[in-house]
Amino acid sequence: MHGAILENLSGRKLAVLISLLLICQVVCFLIGGLVAPTPASAENWLATKCRHRENDTRKWLYPRGEGHCDSIDSLDIYRSIDPDRRKEAISQEYLKANELVFALQIPLPRNNMTLDYSRWQQNLIGVLQFDIAYYSDAERDPDDAWKHYASSVEERMLQCTMTNKEEGFHYNCSIIPFFELGSLHHDFYLLNIRLPVDAVKKTNQGLGHLEDIWLVAINQNGGFTKVWVSLKTIFFPFIIGIMIWFWKRVHQLSRSPALLEYMLLFLGVTLTFLNMPLEYLTLAFDMPFMLLLGDIRQGIFYAALLSFWLVFAGEHLMIRDGVDSNSLRAYWKHLSAVVIGCLSLFIFDMCERGVQLRNPFYSIWVTDLGTNLALTFIILAGISAGVYFLFLSYMIWKVFCNISAKRTVLPSMSSARRLHYEGVIYRFKFLMLATLLCAAMTVIGFILGQVSEGRWKWDDDLELEFTSAFFTGVYGMWNIYIFALIVLYAPSHKQWPSESEHRGSTNEEIEFSRLPTDPSEMSSLTAFARKSAMD
Amino acid sequence: MPNSQQVTLDLTSTSYRDNCDRLRYLEEKQRELCALSQNILTSLGIGAKMAIDECQYQFRMSRWNCSTFGNTTTIFGGVLSVKSREAAYVHAVSAAGIAYTVTRACSRGELNECSCDSRVRSRKPKGKWQWGGCSEDIHFGEKFSRDFVDSHENRDTADGLMNLHNNEAGRRSIRSRMQRVCKCHGMSGSCSVRVCWRKLPPFRQVGDALSARYEGASHVKMVDKKRRRIKKLRAVSRDYKQPNKTDLVFLEESPDYCERNETMGVLGTRGRLCNRTSMGPDGCRLLCCGRGYQTRVRDVEEKCHCRFVWCCDVKCDTCRYKKEEHICN
Repeated sequence: MHGAILENLSGRKLAVLISLLLICQVVCFLIGGLVAPTPASAENWLATKCRHRENDTRKWLYPRGEGHCDSIDSLDIYRSIDPDRRKEAISQEYLKANELVFALQIPLPRNNMTLDYSRWQQNLIGVLQFDIAYYSDAERDPDDAWKHYASSVEERMLQCTMTNKEEGFHYNCSIIPFFELGSLHHDFYLLNIRLPVDAVKKTNQGLGHLEDIWLVAINQNGGFTKVWVSLKTIFFPFIIGIMIWFWKRVHQLSRSPALLEYMLLFLGVTLTFLNMPLEYLTLAFDMPFMLLLGDIRQGIFYAALLSFWLVFAGEHLMIRDGVDSNSLRAYWKHLSAVVIGCLSLFIFDMCERGVQLRNPFYSIWVTDLGTNLALTFIILAGISAGVYFLFLSYMIWKVFCNISAKRTVLPSMSSARRLHYEGVIYRFKFLMLATLLCAAMTVIGFILGQVSEGRWKWDDDLELEFTSAFFTGVYGMWNIYIFALIVLYAPSHKQWPSESEHRGSTNEEIEFSRLPTDPSEMSSLTAFARKSAMD
Repeated sequence: MPNSQQVTLDLTSTSYRDNCDRLRYLEEKQRELCALSQNILTSLGIGAKMAIDECQYQFRMSRWNCSTFGNTTTIFGGVLSVKSREAAYVHAVSAAGIAYTVTRACSRGELNECSCDSRVRSRKPKGKWQWGGCSEDIHFGEKFSRDFVDSHENRDTADGLMNLHNNEAGRRSIRSRMQRVCKCHGMSGSCSVRVCWRKLPPFRQVGDALSARYEGASHVKMVDKKRRRIKKLRAVSRDYKQPNKTDLVFLEESPDYCERNETMGVLGTRGRLCNRTSMGPDGCRLLCCGRGYQTRVRDVEEKCHCRFVWCCDVKCDTCRYKKEEHICN
């Protein structure tokens, strides 16, 4: 009979294959740790305070270069109640709020070179930090200073607190989401921020001694993108190749493909979609939807992986009769948890990053309604994840129950069949272990990355960029995992020697062939599981 | 006396290279740094000014109130020729001030010279930024301050070692007070990718921290290790804690700041306002050095009930009231 390659592979070949894959895994990890820089870098840029005397808000102000604006070093002279300084301020005319523009021209020059953004840097996320100083002489005592600002038609709320009020110290202000650009297509960016006062609309009324605005620009590092895209470029053809090989093998069989084989193919397709190095296109075209697309690609892949685990466990469980088990309908209850979770995350992502395609300054978190909506979807996704893991653990527990039940009757079988079953059980457990190991490694790596500051040092020469290593390592791991699954679960063309020799000689064999589906073409692992369910 | 503070005095916007050459009190290396660009000179000036302001704010209640003399080459008079706690503070705060303003100028894009290296992996220096981003600006600020302020200190003398130690302590007080802020920007904005940065503290916070260090400054002496020819500062007595890199150190006890002393540049506390109810250094008993004080009452008109109006105005009422002032004899 035909079985999966996993069952027919000799221990030595399996060991060679696994050690090869493990070497690939270590290489992936080391590439991230030793070659790539951190995934993203943040740069702090201080806004230049420009004075704009005309009332034309359409005019753009440049802090540097030809025709740059009149910059103000400090706003202190306008705010002091010291008579001498007041005189100085009067001599320069009072500064009106509508005349003050915070201008930023990014990136800034370094080492006497004008820097420019490279398209390899992929995306740009901006965050504002306000330095608001506390002065007791000229201020009410706002524990929470609320503020709105308009940049196109934008509103942001700023929450500031201060535990010990000391003069000249800054309030501890929350960071303000500013913009998210899904593509970094241009070389330079100019930002003008105005905080106009409007007594009627009560905008910017309670704003304190704002001294400076810092912009923190977070972009993906070019080096990381290069390493990442190279990895994708390498994995992409491998996974496609193995899928073609797999599907050819399945079609050589006389039976129609089993559900597990469909699932494996689907998993391969979603992984290929994730592996597709679309990032190359961003070097030539402006693709602001890349952030969103990246989320969707990852989402689809994880959804496929989670569904595969469910089906994998379910196919080895076989409580129901085997007739309708070859379709996904049997799993609708379990899969609905995955679907609901992914769908709510998708809706949330569309509300945040989808809208940002139209307006990069948009953020769902700035309004109360938006925050509640976002939280609803995230909580819904969390609940689905919990339900999913309950289902999965329950099913795996059932499979192991079945296996141990089968174990007790093993001694009464013929030696060849016993060896066969023991091998199947061992390999099923081996695969479960591999899955568990992969998941655990991901979780442990993630936690370590959060705990350590992202940089590990063993000695002065060897510095490992842990965050990057984690990303490339995990990415490589899931690729290798799925590669291995497809290879090991492909139908084998080898005959089962012991099986054919002893065919018909034992009672179990007869019982085996009485199963509803034709056992000769079924994966013997599945057959075993079904049989155990019938026992 | 740190030369940096003298830069403030002759700041003009004529050819800055000539300007740098004219500043004779600068060392060769400092002149080179100064001539890098016009903005460096401006930043140095602002940094020195900020350091003096901070010093005067912190010492407004002490017998020595960080008074400056505009007409001499040494800004603080002869006070700093005594290697006292006060000299330690002035050195630390001015080194910090320069590091601080240079850092800010870098963040604002005013200095083209700010460097981008340190701890960034790259094969070519040109693509450094695009490959892996730049180092924090504070690194350049500190480096610049180290090159500029430390350049004329002699490592073989006790004075030089003390100044170097205090300069470094000043610079470190900025870095240790930087606040770490993080943002998550992974898949759907989750924390699978997180990036952190550090925020520059207000300079008042640096000044405050140095003030606390001033209170706990260590009295040290130079020890000369004959065998390895290393000169080091050690606490005067084995019973005292050895100073670490963030502590301020001094070699001599402070002079008497109570009486006027022209040669030392001490103004004395005669005529200073004091606080009758305070038990601290600004209280009349301590500030007037036991000479007693006079009380006078006068009618004053002052701004009161001030409200701050964004962005740049302060609206106040005028109040009239009787004010009691205590003046040291």
